[in-house]
Amino acid sequence: QSFSFFIVNVPVSQRRFKPMQAREAMEAVLKEKLQGQQYSVEQVPSWTRDIADAVKNKLKEFEYDRYKIIVQVVIGELRGEGVKMACRCFWDENSDKHVSFTFSNDSLFCTATAFAVYHY
Amino acid sequence: MDVDTEGAFVADEIKTSVKETVDSVLHDAVYDHDKVSQWTNQIVEDCTKKLVGLQKPFKYIVTCVIMQRTGAGIHTAASCFWDSSSDGYAVVRVDTKSMYAIATVFGVAL
Repeated sequence: QSFSFFIVNVPVSQRRFKPMQAREAMEAVLKEKLQGQQYSVEQVPSWTRDIADAVKNKLKEFEYDRYKIIVQVVIGELRGEGVKMACRCFWDENSDKHVSFTFSNDSLFCTATAFAVYHY
Repeated sequence: MDVDTEGAFVADEIKTSVKETVDSVLHDAVYDHDKVSQWTNQIVEDCTKKLVGLQKPFKYIVTCVIMQRTGAGIHTAASCFWDSSSDGYAVVRVDTKSMYAIATVFGVAL
């Protein structure tokens, strides 16, 4: 008879992904980039990319141990239209987390979502 | 590091499967504020089930944005810190007469 043992490494508490810390970082980036800005067809594509990169880099600075990070940013023009966003994850609830933050002013909204996936 | 194509994220088959799911949920529907929650949830749920059915050693994140077509603009971008030899993503955009749907799948290897 043979047995298989799987020892799963649980994230060490000091370097565990901290949702509140990540959320504050995201809030800071969004406010810095978008405060006072108006939706602009020419600039929004580069804003979305820059914000995604900036959030990812900020989260990398926290040096969460063995976490892969995915940041998704959506910027839309506010013209009274309806928008809905949903997400579903197939992962390990003990270790993987997601955080999201939405910034809006009178001309645009921006939702940034960060997913942190633990790599065994 | 060996690049093992068996273990890598294959975007094409996933794109086809996601597009089928979005088309089947939205088909000829007209944007309806009361139903849009149900549509987004159903799309991400059905996509996740199909992905799990592929039985590959991946964790998946599926997101879906549905926006009413009123002439307003929308943009999405993603930035990832992962292993690009094994992890990947697929984006599918479906336009109907009354709405835009953007579905994204991120696959992270175990």
